[in-house]
Amino acid sequence: MGDPALSLVAVEKRYGDTAAVAGLTLDVAEGEFVTLLGPSGCGKTTTLGLIAGFLPLSAGDIRLKGRSVIGLPPFRRDIGVVFQDYALFPHMTAEENVAFGLKMRKVAKAETASRVAAALDLVKLRGLGARRPHELSGGQRQRVALARALVIRPQILLLDEPLSNLDLKLREEMRVEIAELQRALAITTVFVTHDQSEALVMSDRIAVMNAGRVEQVGRSTEIYERPASRFVAEFIGRMNLFPARIRAGAAGLRVVTARGVTLALALPGGIVEPVAVHIAVRPERACVLRKAPAADWLAERGRIEQVLYLGAAHEIRLALEDGLRATVEVTNTGAPLGLEPGMTVWFAAPPEACLVLPAHQ
Amino acid sequence: MASPRALGGDVHPAMGPPVRHLVSAHWLLAAIPALVLVVFFALPNALLLTVSFLKSEAQQLTGEVTLENYRFVLSRRLYLDAVIRTFAIGIAVGALDVLLAYPLAYFLVRTTSRWKGWLIALSLAPLLASVVVRTYGWYVILNRNGVANDALLLLGLTTERIALMPSSAAIAIGLAHALLPYAVLTIMGGLDAIPPNLERAAMSLGASRLRTFLSVTLPLSMPGVAGGFILCFSIAISAYATPAILGGPATQVLATAIYGFMTQLLDWSIGAALAVVLVASSLALLYLASRLGSRQVSL
Amino acid sequence: MKAGPSPAWILLRVCVGAVYLFMLGPILITATVSFNASNRSVFPPQGFSLRWWARALSWEWLDPLLFSLKLATLAGLAATLLALPLAFALVRHRFRGRDILVALTLGPLLLPALVTGVGLLQLFQYAGLRDLIGLPALIVGHVVICLPFAVRTIAISLQGMPPNLENAAASLGAPPWRTQANVVLPLVKNGIVAGAVFAFIHSFTDVNLSLFLVRPGEIPINIKILGFLEFGFAPTLAAVSVLTIIIPLVVVAAVQRMTGLGDFLYAERGHG
Repeated sequence: MGDPALSLVAVEKRYGDTAAVAGLTLDVAEGEFVTLLGPSGCGKTTTLGLIAGFLPLSAGDIRLKGRSVIGLPPFRRDIGVVFQDYALFPHMTAEENVAFGLKMRKVAKAETASRVAAALDLVKLRGLGARRPHELSGGQRQRVALARALVIRPQILLLDEPLSNLDLKLREEMRVEIAELQRALAITTVFVTHDQSEALVMSDRIAVMNAGRVEQVGRSTEIYERPASRFVAEFIGRMNLFPARIRAGAAGLRVVTARGVTLALALPGGIVEPVAVHIAVRPERACVLRKAPAADWLAERGRIEQVLYLGAAHEIRLALEDGLRATVEVTNTGAPLGLEPGMTVWFAAPPEACLVLPAHQ
Repeated sequence: MASPRALGGDVHPAMGPPVRHLVSAHWLLAAIPALVLVVFFALPNALLLTVSFLKSEAQQLTGEVTLENYRFVLSRRLYLDAVIRTFAIGIAVGALDVLLAYPLAYFLVRTTSRWKGWLIALSLAPLLASVVVRTYGWYVILNRNGVANDALLLLGLTTERIALMPSSAAIAIGLAHALLPYAVLTIMGGLDAIPPNLERAAMSLGASRLRTFLSVTLPLSMPGVAGGFILCFSIAISAYATPAILGGPATQVLATAIYGFMTQLLDWSIGAALAVVLVASSLALLYLASRLGSRQVSL
Repeated sequence: MKAGPSPAWILLRVCVGAVYLFMLGPILITATVSFNASNRSVFPPQGFSLRWWARALSWEWLDPLLFSLKLATLAGLAATLLALPLAFALVRHRFRGRDILVALTLGPLLLPALVTGVGLLQLFQYAGLRDLIGLPALIVGHVVICLPFAVRTIAISLQGMPPNLENAAASLGAPPWRTQANVVLPLVKNGIVAGAVFAFIHSFTDVNLSLFLVRPGEIPINIKILGFLEFGFAPTLAAVSVLTIIIPLVVVAAVQRMTGLGDFLYAERGHG
């Protein structure tokens, strides 16, 4: 059929007068990996709770393969959930944990045993099935939780910040593993996280959320390189922002910087009159120059405040003439940087690296 | 066994509601114990309150409302003394218990000995013995021919055997002994609530162990100490067995007076009035304890 | 790193030893008196004899002992059974009047058992239920004062459960009753057992409430001992007293092997 695997239609969840989630509309296609990304309190975990059926909707609809699931309790929705704290049953072994969902579905013993073994294999926990959760490390527990949710072959897999309790190395490893697993099994997945690098690496599409609303949905590249709002721009990666205005001129609407320089930059759709805007430049797309750049470049004079060594790159922090701060990231090529704190330099960015964002949202 | 601690607190919030609104089946089930408590706890206490304001004549309850019962209790020397004695003993017991329990509690919380579990169990084991059992031992120690007298004579503090019991002091010692485990538990709770890093911080800033104890540990353990004092006080004022055994007709306390009125004199109105005095004191103490920030028990 | 105990710590240990002596001394003295050859309750004991123990194990004393056991078992079980739904309701749900229910549940723990006993006596009397005074009234009274113990331990167990467990079970297809049976109950089991044990012990050692609800032939052992103590201090009573310690001791030791009671005594210790 043509129905998306998961459909959120104008979903709303209110607690008293506050809306934890409002006007959320999102479709997830079969086999797609969609991430709900946002800061704490933006409503992403609430949304997951609504999809799973742990929370009742205040308004709107949630459909799995076209069928509304409103009123359907969690144990009748065909879902698999991996919780942030894993929620493994402490009184059962890893095998028993994984077998639980199959037991509820009254799968025969022999089949259960083989499916459980296969699931533990899939998450690389072969041989640890007889252990109890307290005898497993954090990373191992996480894998058991994953196996438990996958073995039942759910229509939808829901993951609530499953990696946030792991240390950095493990997190980076598991990111890739989970993403590969998901692709291999082609399970429709909704992943919740506040970690933007996780989102960028793992997702087919990202829905950036803020205060209960989706600000932008799109592929990783779109979200990163063409953020639709200041919030998205600053939430993902870092962004330099320069206040500017749209002015009507002889050649139509143009962007004019605070210092009065006119730049030929693409304007975001929907701008038809002079308004305040921001020019946004990613640190890695800008450069630090000793002399002023070409006239069509964005150029601001300033002083180097700090040069930070990040290993793979240098981060150069500038204090600009109009009181603004800016950051430039320069890949470490091994060659000496030649830049020191105190030097007077130019922050420069070519027009193609400059994005124009509405000032108020 | 009331120990101060509010139960609760998640580390990770649940994805769905951790708290639900009362489902009808649960409602029904919980109503049964609730009913039991109302009928067999709330009702009797309410009855006592009512009866304390009714007059009794010839061991029969009349319908006459009066304050006579309270006036009687608070004006007769014998019973006023009993009330005062009760509270005096309570204070003595509270103070003695807190003093004795503190070093033990501190030791149990801080020790790294592998016998720690056993030592804690040992300090609480007396609770397994009923008050009667424990008080018997004190009789043996405090009576005219007992160990205490032997010791006093040996140390030359007395020249002849004295009657250490029956007396209020004997009651106080017996009660302090019986209630010590409660104080230990409570003070342990208070000490345990102090993050160990605070003491390390003080020492890193130059405070000696003694100074650290006096400036950091002791003040922060005060809620536990206050709680222990109040707990022992409130149990002591309602004690029957120990005052009955180690005391006599001349050393009546509230509990023995209530028993007397209820089962011997059969004046239930006055008995009720005395009981109300006891309950009111307990409630006042509970309130005091909560104001002092010492959480007795909560759910 | 540590150079051996400091003088302060040694002093502390001495103090602690003295306190333990104070705590356990009288109980040990009671025990030794029960073996006294002579007729008098003195310490140090004069001679060794088992005759008081022979008397303690006679029917005169075994009867009330068994009565207390029966009472404590019945009251303990009833209290635990009633505590289950109550604990669940209080821990898991929000409803109007919850605070009142909490006060009602903790009340018997916080208010003097003596008063509850007096109140129950009056209640039975004025309700014309005089005949129930004795075992029935005792059971009722003991259930009331033991209920808070059981509710507390079960509540501690419930609150120690990781919050998402039930949601996890539901997401895996378990309908509510299966979640309760397969996930919640096994995890609350320890709390239930601890509650039953504490209830049993509290009932077995109670004096203040039982005082008012006895009837000839239906007297718990502690009240019986108390009655005799008011007339004299024969060593037989010492033997009987020691007997009454052994039973709770055995119960606690047996249960401690199976489930950790310590977690429930001392809820402070790092539990949620």
